[in-house]
Amino acid sequence: MKRGHVYTFLFMVVITAVLVFALAAAYEGFKPSIQRNKQLQEQRAVLSALGLDEGLKDNQIAAVYEEKIKPGKLNGFEEAYGMPILAHIENGETLAYAVPIEGSGLWGALRGYLGVNADRTQTTGLVFTYQNETPGLGGRIDEDWFKNQFRGLPITPNTLMAYGSVEDKDIDAITGATQTSSAVMRTINKSLTEIVFSEEVK
Amino acid sequence: MANEKTSAIIKRNLFTENQVLRAILGICSSLAVTNTMRNSLVMGLGVAFVTGLSSLTLSAMRNIIPHRVRMLVQTLVIAAYVIFVDLFLQAFLPDISKHLGPYVGLIITNCIIMGRAEAYAQQNPPLPAALDGLFAGLGYTLVLLGVAFIREALGFGTIFGMNINFIGFETWTIMIMPPAAFFIIGAMIWVMSARAANKAAKAK
Repeated sequence: MKRGHVYTFLFMVVITAVLVFALAAAYEGFKPSIQRNKQLQEQRAVLSALGLDEGLKDNQIAAVYEEKIKPGKLNGFEEAYGMPILAHIENGETLAYAVPIEGSGLWGALRGYLGVNADRTQTTGLVFTYQNETPGLGGRIDEDWFKNQFRGLPITPNTLMAYGSVEDKDIDAITGATQTSSAVMRTINKSLTEIVFSEEVK
Repeated sequence: MANEKTSAIIKRNLFTENQVLRAILGICSSLAVTNTMRNSLVMGLGVAFVTGLSSLTLSAMRNIIPHRVRMLVQTLVIAAYVIFVDLFLQAFLPDISKHLGPYVGLIITNCIIMGRAEAYAQQNPPLPAALDGLFAGLGYTLVLLGVAFIREALGFGTIFGMNINFIGFETWTIMIMPPAAFFIIGAMIWVMSARAANKAAKAK
């Protein structure tokens, strides 16, 4: 059957409208779940950077977060790279800060939090909330073995963090993902010099 | 085209005419995601789901789609399903969504999906078309898992993230890098082609 241009044109208009409508409906339907998941991921990330998420189930995250996390102020900064600095407060005492980190990885932006204790001598953890690195290679920066290397590392003004041995610990880069690994270090050091030790760095 | 038996569709897509090994389609993602089995499995199932549903939809519409714009329509339908999969993962399987991030969108460009739509769904009724699409995707999954098994075992010393490196051998870094997939898939294609050639020679 031979069909004219009008049919073709109308067909495309109709099918596009139908598909767009269906997707919009699906998006609206999924939106509450997606947003809940995003918030949960963000809150878990902050707790993880502060070393507080050990063994927490998804449904406990919000309560712990409410109880222990407040907006914080570090070196006069209330936010860094467009994200708020958060403080871990228990019994009125500030124990640690979750400092936002931001930099460029191999394929796209890296965003997350670096946890440092209140007197700025040690890290409490590292976590990424956004990354587009190669799954299975650079993407492994989201794996626990990698992130856990960044717990309890000594930090001082004017000393950059690097892979290798630090006191009795080894910090390993990811095999096959040298670019991403270096980007992670650059990102951490950027936050350390620009925010955490911004006054002391000469 | 005469109606094909279900078992024939399954056998053809999983083995004799495996899309990756015989039609050499979907190679890009086969090289990219096969360094861990977990990513391969999720990617494979995503492709199987989209191929099945898009073949079903396109076959159901095959008599009203204007021939000249059929590829535009195929792309539209495929893209819609992929976005749906992406939203679904974000809503219900956030961990996997985070893991697979950029690759979900890449399902759209998987040549197998459009290949099946062009080669099969266009001329066949919806049900066989859906089966054909689904099993073409599962055939792809099978190859991915095979390649990932070799790469993950030798490259990381793990299977699905579980340690199997009991004797403590030195893991092969090249297995994690894309070139390893070239060698492994190349070898698989060689075996399949040799087998097909053998069969053809015997049939004479």
